[in-house]
Amino acid sequence: MRIAKGLRLAVALGLLATGAAACGGGSGSGGSGGKVELTLLSHYSDGPSKEGLDKMIQEWNKENPKIQVKSQVVKFDDLLTTMTVRQTGGRGADIVSAYGLWGGQLMKANVVAKVPDDIATKIKAEYSPAALGAVTTGGTLLGYPTELNTYVLFYNKKILAAAGISKPPSTWAELADAAKKTVKRDANGNIQVEGLSLIQDGDNKSVHPFLSLLDSAGGKFLAPDGTAQFDDAAGKAALKFEADLAAAKATNPSIMPTKQFRSGGVAMAIQAGWWIGSLKNQMKDKYSDVGVAAIPGPTPGSKGSLAYGFFMGVNQRSKHADEAWKFLTWMNEHKTPDGKVTETGKWLADQGLIPPRTADQEEYKKSLSDPNLAPIYEAATYAMAEPNQPGAYEAKTALHNAIMGVLADGKNPDDALAQAAKAVKPQ
Amino acid sequence: MTTAVSRVGDSRTAAAPARRLGRLQREGRAAYLFLSPALLFFCVFLILPFVFAIILAFSDWGGFDLGTLKWAGAANFRDVLSFNGTFVKPILVNTLLFAFGSVFLATFGSVLVAYCIDRLSFQGFWRVLYFLPVVATVVAIGNVWKMMYQPAGMINGVLNKLGVNSIGFLSDASYALPSVTVVQAWASIGGAVLILTAGLKAIPEMYYEAAEVDGANSWHMFWSITLPLLRPALLFVLITQFIGGLQSFALIIVMTGDGGPVNATNVAAFEMYQRAFKYGAWGTASAMAMVLFVIILAITLLQLWIARRRGEETS
Repeated sequence: MRIAKGLRLAVALGLLATGAAACGGGSGSGGSGGKVELTLLSHYSDGPSKEGLDKMIQEWNKENPKIQVKSQVVKFDDLLTTMTVRQTGGRGADIVSAYGLWGGQLMKANVVAKVPDDIATKIKAEYSPAALGAVTTGGTLLGYPTELNTYVLFYNKKILAAAGISKPPSTWAELADAAKKTVKRDANGNIQVEGLSLIQDGDNKSVHPFLSLLDSAGGKFLAPDGTAQFDDAAGKAALKFEADLAAAKATNPSIMPTKQFRSGGVAMAIQAGWWIGSLKNQMKDKYSDVGVAAIPGPTPGSKGSLAYGFFMGVNQRSKHADEAWKFLTWMNEHKTPDGKVTETGKWLADQGLIPPRTADQEEYKKSLSDPNLAPIYEAATYAMAEPNQPGAYEAKTALHNAIMGVLADGKNPDDALAQAAKAVKPQ
Repeated sequence: MTTAVSRVGDSRTAAAPARRLGRLQREGRAAYLFLSPALLFFCVFLILPFVFAIILAFSDWGGFDLGTLKWAGAANFRDVLSFNGTFVKPILVNTLLFAFGSVFLATFGSVLVAYCIDRLSFQGFWRVLYFLPVVATVVAIGNVWKMMYQPAGMINGVLNKLGVNSIGFLSDASYALPSVTVVQAWASIGGAVLILTAGLKAIPEMYYEAAEVDGANSWHMFWSITLPLLRPALLFVLITQFIGGLQSFALIIVMTGDGGPVNATNVAAFEMYQRAFKYGAWGTASAMAMVLFVIILAITLLQLWIARRRGEETS
């Protein structure tokens, strides 16, 4: 009888413990003895990005013993999943660093808190339009813009020169001509040198180069209400341009530019500005062969690019939102010892990224250490900001499937675009 | 005396069932108490998530905040099962082709390998050799095969030597799914070989001796003795491999990244993962999970029904 009672008690305690564990946890962090600990979840997990962020956090923690910030990092590929799982489990970080494209779904799910009016006014006045556009959803600013990337045309000067081309292409016709002249295949049809790479590593790899070409032709990806706009005349022209290159075998989606450009396996590639840092590290002395130019449009003088960004915002469930905004304001506004740029601007520029703050951009533009950076900075003034309303991510995948259908499967561009447009559902 | 004894006997026989019942009830309670940790675990990690998934399948939820959960009725199922969408075709079709293809190749291969091993010396060595892919991680297997499938990889190298132009095994939409299916089958042969070898060992030698006396050749013995007596093991292999094949997507992530090209290798489990964790469409993802659950259940029941009709022990 005693044993049975003991067992019942054990089961009851077990149930209580399980219940407590299931219901436990809370948003972010707690405080003890008046000290607040904020958690910051980001993908700055290694190299200069981690070192720079850690340095700023250490400086803040030293100066603010009552508001301590703790960095939590994951790889970019795991960031959204980690955020989802932790937020659903009531353990979301106080400060989240996120890709602008996720902004719509994070806002819809009440993850990011509204930016306080005074901070929002300052951000809107001090950051570049491309950076603001990439982190604004339906007129709502999601946080402080951090990373900003624009797309440009990377080319191998030696390969172009060997094909008799002395300057980078400035129209679609010249671009197609250069791609066809530089492509090389062996007797078995294996590509030795790809003319123009229209894909990149990463999420929806074919979409960013396409949107850059679409921008150069004056087209748009999505309307503000989330409906597809890429299936108009500009979109059809951009995809037909890509289809013609695929038919001529001057582009091939099985070639990864991030792996093959450095060894001379790709003549030209439409890629994001961050690539410069990687190429410098990988190519060493051969980096002098790399040239960067604006992505040309269909007519002389026209050009286009895509800008995407990241932001740091505050979790709506954070118990210490005021402290979190205080830290973010300090992080994004305090200047380097020489007073020329912000510490965050320097942190981003050191990684080969464009600082999103206009004053920082202007300062860096004055003395660019590498002429290849000039077209990347310049693109920030005219690039199409990547739309990020709820449903934008799915729309991007639908467009990716359409483009790959054309590049890898020889589908008709108009049909592929029409099918993708049908799959886009405004939310 | 007789009456007194019979009265005592009567009262004993009347009290015995009551005592037995009481003991059984006590034992039953104790059994449930001992089982309660396992039952609790089962409820928390299986029943509750399953019920939650059913609720989500009829809801619109972006993840993160349970307060934003909205009733959506059958809209998610309409969306998922629409022939204009991508789930039924190509994703569900890919899933079935991937599962059927890999199960067919793996079962055929494993029967052949197990039958050969059973007739070789150093059987332990051969079993270990064929079991190695099961121990290796999917990431390693996927990457090795991915390199072999590359335009400048080993397989295209052999084809080129034979005068055949390179094939985009993973970049051509026509070849991508069969290419990944072959790898999945190759990777799962080892486990099946172990089970089938055990099944082969259980077949009494006297049947083969009797057949030999009757003049049966190797093929007759395989077809008329080995295969029929191997059916219970084969049934187990078929069911487990099929369920695994329908749910598998790790190899696809490693080999083709995003289920490409053009959704050619996208399967239901991967699409579910993408919908939930990438797009925050948990309702649609859960509706897909329910559809896949029904398909797996139906196919498993069909396999059991076919086996029962042939007189196999399936319980």
